Order: sequence, then C-alpha cells, then structure tokens
Amino acid sequence: MPTSLLLSISVKYWQDFQDTLAKVMDANIYIFDVNGGSFSLFSLPVELCQEVNKGRVLRDEKCISFYKSTLDSLEDKDMLTCPYGLKLCAYRLGTYAQKIGFLVVTPTRLTTLVGREEENTFATKAHSIYRTINEVLQAILEKNLLGLRRLELNSIYEISRLMTSIVELDKVLDLITNSLIIIYQAELCFVGLREGDKIRVAQAKGEHGHLLIGKEWPLVQPLIEQVFSKVEPSFLSLEELRTLPGLTGVEVAPETEILVYPLWTALGAVGLLGIVAPVSLDDNSSRNLQIYANFAAVALANATLIHRLEREAETDFLTGLLNKRALRNLLVTELERTTRYGTPLSVIFLDIDDFKAYNDTFGHVAGDVVLQKTAEIIKNSIRIVDTACRYGGEEFVIILPGTKGEGAARVAERIRKSIETYPFPHRQVTASLGVASAKKNDSVDSLFARADQACYQAKRQGKNRLCLNPS
Amino acid sequence: MSEIVEKQVERYENLLREMWTASAKYLGILSANLLVERVVWEVSMEYQEIELLQYDQNGISCARIAASLEENPDLPVEDMFMKFITRYVAILAKLLGHERTEEIRKRLKEEFATIPFASREE
Repeated sequence: MPTSLLLSISVKYWQDFQDTLAKVMDANIYIFDVNGGSFSLFSLPVELCQEVNKGRVLRDEKCISFYKSTLDSLEDKDMLTCPYGLKLCAYRLGTYAQKIGFLVVTPTRLTTLVGREEENTFATKAHSIYRTINEVLQAILEKNLLGLRRLELNSIYEISRLMTSIVELDKVLDLITNSLIIIYQAELCFVGLREGDKIRVAQAKGEHGHLLIGKEWPLVQPLIEQVFSKVEPSFLSLEELRTLPGLTGVEVAPETEILVYPLWTALGAVGLLGIVAPVSLDDNSSRNLQIYANFAAVALANATLIHRLEREAETDFLTGLLNKRALRNLLVTELERTTRYGTPLSVIFLDIDDFKAYNDTFGHVAGDVVLQKTAEIIKNSIRIVDTACRYGGEEFVIILPGTKGEGAARVAERIRKSIETYPFPHRQVTASLGVASAKKNDSVDSLFARADQACYQAKRQGKNRLCLNPS
Repeated sequence: MSEIVEKQVERYENLLREMWTASAKYLGILSANLLVERVVWEVSMEYQEIELLQYDQNGISCARIAASLEENPDLPVEDMFMKFITRYVAILAKLLGHERTEEIRKRLKEEFATIPFASREE
C-alpha cells in the first residue's frame, strides 16, 4: 500500500475531528504527511503561529523548513522548540513498518513552557492526544486496507470463475489486464503468451500499452530467462525493463514498482504477467497478486488450449488448409452475405487427376507431397480474402467472395497451369476443376453440387481442364 | 429532499448509467463493475454515502442515495458525484486510452451539457 494513504482521508472530516479533540484537550494540533508537508490546518488559534503564518495554514518559510528537517529525522517522539521559540511535542504516526505521517502538539496559551512540572503536564497531555490520533488513523487505515483486500479478493474470485465459465482467450486477457489496472492503479500491465521459443505480448493496457501488443521476446533473452528461472516474481529496475524490445523508451514515475510474474502451470510456462504500479506492495498484496497470477496462469492455459483445439479442429493437418467442417461453416456465412448484400460469390472444386494411381505407384509419402504442393500452389494463386480448403482425399475447394464466374474461371485456370507445370517428383501431375457461382436461394449443398458437377464434366472431357457451370 | 436536489440526483444517475454502459461495452460487465467498486471505495473515504450506489450486471442506480438525502439534505451531492466521475474517467483512460475515453466524454458532455464534466484528475 502507498505510504501516503493518509491523504486519502477527507481533510474536511479529519479537520472537524481534529478541531474537536484540540478543543477538548485544550492544545493545538498539527498533522503532517509522511514527507513533512502540511495535511490539516492548525486546530486552535495560537497567536504566534497565526501571526507568523498569516492564518491557519503553514506558510512561513522558516516554519516549513523547520518541520521538514525536524520530522525527517524524527525517530519516534521528541520535545522541540520551533524557530520562533514555541515549545512542542512531535510524534511519528503509524508503525515502524508503515509510516502514516507526523503529529505536532503545542500549548494554546503558553507558548513557552516554564518549569519542569508544567512541561511534564503538557507532555502527558500531548501523549494522550498522540495515542488517540494514532489509534483513529490506524482504524481508518485498516478500513482502507480492507476495502483494497475486498477488491483484490473479488478479482481473484472472478478470475477463478473464468476457469470454468469463459474460454475465449481475448476475454480472459482483457479481464486480467483490466483488473490489475483497476486494483493497483497500474501504469502499465501486459500479458505475454508463450509461443514455442518466444513470448508474444498478447494484451497490454495503460500508458503506451498499445505499442507493446504483438512484440516478441525470445525465451533466451537474458531478462526473460531470468524471469522464468524461478517461480516468484522478478522485481525489475527501469533499466532492466528497457532491455525488452518495445519497452526501450518507456518512462515510469519515480518509486514505481515493476514486477514480472512467470505464469506456470503443471504443463509448464504459459507466459508472463507484467505490472508497472506506482505503489509498493505490502506482504498481503504481494501474496494476493501471486494468487491472482496463479489463477491467471491456469485460466490462460485453459483458454489457450481451447483456442488451439478449436483451430486444430478446423485445420487439415497435412496441408494446413481449412478442413471440410470449417469450409461448410464459412460457406454458410458467405452465402448469407451474398443474399443480404447481393455481392457475387464463386466456388472452385479441384480434383487431382489419377491421384489413386500416383499413390499406388509411388507410395503414400509421395502422394502426401503432391497434396502439400498442390495446397501451396492454391494458396499462392488466391487473394487474402479467398479461402482454400481440403475437402477430402485429393479434392480441394476454393471460396472466392465478391467474384463472378468469369473471374473465378481465370483463377481456376491459373491454378491448373501452375499444377501442370510444377516439377512434381516421379511424373507430371494435373488437376480438373469445376467453377460455380452462387444463385439466389442457393444452399451450401446446391452450390457444392454444381461445382462438383462442373468438375466431373471436366474429368469426362479428358481431365487437366476446367469447366464453368453454365447456370 | 428539495425538487432541485432530486432532479440533480436523477441527472447524475442518468450520466452514471451512460458512463457505465459505454465502459461495459468496451471493458465487459465484470471489469466495469470492478471499476465502479474501486471508485466507490476511494470516494467513500470522503463521502460514505457513495456506498449506497447500487450496481450489478444490469447497470447503476442512485435510488438509495436519493433516499438517504431525505435524512441528510446537506450532503454535497454535486461534489460527491463529480469526484466519482473524475476518478472513474481517470482510470477508464488508462484502460481504454485517452482517445477513446475522450470520445465517451465528448458524447456525454453533449448529452449532459450543464454538468462540468472533467476527464482528468486535477
């Protein structure tokens, strides 16, 4: 927690309390923040103070510098004399572990204490005031901390719920980065996911966050290696952080804490979580953040795994093209678009000629090479908006949105020629292609059937050619 | 509660609802509510009444704050809501970037012209 938490207290409400206490105890009270700056106004009129400072606010340079230097070196408590001769008792507020601020108590009427007895009476009174104020501040601090703990726990609860409810990787990444920025007021928060031998920044929020997304850090990069050499977070200096590509020019406020958590699960490293926060975390916050990072690791591992499975379920392993199932889903969407906006849509059906004979003669490994090379030729012959799929066996389908039959025929001819001239091992390979364009009220099956029919016609006409479905 | 204060609370409630809806669209409901929770916590250190703000997956309501004003009509609601909005927008800017936050702020300013809507903390 920030040591200046005291400043989160409403000065107005505090002043009311301080003034009442001062009145009851018949003593003047001043509160300073941890840096020795004024927090509240003088509680009761002390003529000397008011004269020097022209009111209830500390303005006089001599006073300001006296309190700053005195409070800076104050161990616990002390009886001092101000530059204008005012006797005062000064106390440090808070605990040894956490300084909250400082309390100064002065007599209201007698500015200089004469005689030992008078001094002792005042010291006792000042000590009572100190105990009351310190306890009230501790209680407020505890209440504030409880609020923060509640935020942290709510967030941990949400991320743990994610593991069973949300599987979309983007949503998980968003929730992790959002929560940390909200709870810890982080200037920057980023999540890098492991992709083979590198970490790729999948989400980053806060100052300059958008510049980080997509940046890649090799696992052998010294800093990344250091992060993954342990289970605990790494506390980095700004210079160390700047060694990461994408963060070379990053600036952070002084006193900022930079932590990078390696995200581990039973399956190994999932990625890393970086947080640049303007507060130093106490033990409880560090522990909560570690729990959060652990849950985040599992949630990310689940989401990444599901994302990969979904992608694999739609991909043909041999060629890397979409498979039949994905093709059907895609074509449904494209047909809906065609119906709604009236844009053309064409489909090419491609069948490698005499593939069975090639396979039987030269073996399945050689057959696989033909399939892979054909897929590569198709990919290189179409636009980014077009999609190629392996339909099954030696059959391929190409979807061409926004393309009329004639345009699709030109693409089909380009592919046919490329296959015909490609130096496949063992012998020349050719393909027959059928082209069909979507009609009103076409379904996936009817459009396919026409493209297939055109391809069959090309086969019947002697192979190594293309046919355009006339309708 | 005077009619003026009642109207004032109603206008702030509409503004908070718009803010919440706009941020939930970009951040998701979970994050939008966590943001509200954080700002309520911060503002409650000065104005405890802000804890009466109700929020869930359906949005924000000031009904309980309005009811508490019947008993405590001197509560400076204007200052309380402005502090809430200022903090909310400051954190939102970190999450969405200043450009997108500025868009939201601009749109809200057009709709709630009389509210001195600030996007950054002073």
